[in-house]
Amino acid sequence: MTSQAPATADTTTASFQFPEIYSFPPFFTRQPNEATWKEQRRQWCDLILAYYRHNRLFSMSLAEAVTEPPFANRQIHRALRVDVLREIVDELAKQGHASWTGARNSKDSCLVFWRKPEVWASMIHQWANDRGMLNTVLTLFELASGDDTVGQEFHGLDSTTLRKALDVLQSQGKAQLFVGTSDEDLGVKFFT
Amino acid sequence: MRRAVGIGGLRRKEAERQALSRKGNELAQREIQKLQEQISLMKDNLEDFVREHQKDIRNNPVFRVQVQRMCQLIGVDPLASRKGYMAELLGVGDFYCELGIQIIDICVATRSMNGGLMDLDELRQRLIRRRLKGSEPVVEDDIRRAINQLKPLRGGYRIVTFGKRKMVQSVAREMNSDQSTMLTLAEYTSKFNIEDVRVAFGWDEDRIHSCIDDMLRSGIIWIDSYNDAHPEYWVPAFFSQLSGGNSGNRG
Repeated sequence: MTSQAPATADTTTASFQFPEIYSFPPFFTRQPNEATWKEQRRQWCDLILAYYRHNRLFSMSLAEAVTEPPFANRQIHRALRVDVLREIVDELAKQGHASWTGARNSKDSCLVFWRKPEVWASMIHQWANDRGMLNTVLTLFELASGDDTVGQEFHGLDSTTLRKALDVLQSQGKAQLFVGTSDEDLGVKFFT
Repeated sequence: MRRAVGIGGLRRKEAERQALSRKGNELAQREIQKLQEQISLMKDNLEDFVREHQKDIRNNPVFRVQVQRMCQLIGVDPLASRKGYMAELLGVGDFYCELGIQIIDICVATRSMNGGLMDLDELRQRLIRRRLKGSEPVVEDDIRRAINQLKPLRGGYRIVTFGKRKMVQSVAREMNSDQSTMLTLAEYTSKFNIEDVRVAFGWDEDRIHSCIDDMLRSGIIWIDSYNDAHPEYWVPAFFSQLSGGNSGNRG
């Protein structure tokens, strides 16, 4: 088991601490007993969100994902099967912590919301308010990668997730999106 | 020469026997009375002792165990009644009650993970983690006593052993002997497969599969299908310190 990493200011460089069950080989087999499966699925959901949050990952391509941590544990030579991962992501989606992307019903790729779009939305809006950025137009690029947002949690946010957060603000009447010629040209104006 | 023969002789023998027996009883009774007086005195002394050392008894588990053993030897069960004077005296009535509740809580929370079977020492460690800092430390003996108090509950709390492993079982349905037998195969490695069972006990396929299905259904074992042709069955309760209730990181 990985030992407890010392607390550091930058958590992304500290190694991720896997739960005990990660070394338990049956964790990687879909349990036939429904009650056991529910527990297993719950632990996978927790693990995915924790791992993705720790590593600031936002999206998953299932076929690729099962060849690496956290879905493959080389130390015990076990890996989750794609169909089982699909069931787990379905559960995350039901909880609002993931959404399927790509072709309809293909369920090959998804976004993982270790922080829900609504929460990102309120963080971004708060920042805009605090910085007196209301009623000015910003590009999505500036928002995600500009100097003004360095140090903010949403700095470096993946563009699809950022877009979802802004959609939430738009639906709340707190922002207006402007479509440009490309995604990088997308602009947003914040209101109170 | 007088010989104890004939009816007279028999009557005399009987009378002698009875006299001896009465004498024996008298002696015995006197001894018993003396013994009772001594025990009563010991009980009084033990009470005084316990009252004086209440704090140490609560805080020092080794000491506590020894005092409780003394109580048992003298024939005083401190936990005989919740409101029993000894329990109050030892100040442990609350302690075991509280421990019992915490044990139930932990067992219920982890049941979906281990099917109601948990390593005794793992339980002890979880109890220690869970209890507030500065509260009395917990040893195996404490858990045994607390579980003993839980006996009347329907939960079916009991301690079972598999070879060297001591486990707490917290489901009402007792394991049948086939299941217990199969589990002993997993004592060292936490797992077994069908071949292991066949080699060790010579059971037929149906019997093996039926037993495995039962254990999968009650959640005591998990299946590992890494090798589809030869699945392995693992016992989470034997796999050192599997945590059943990690809190998630959700935003």
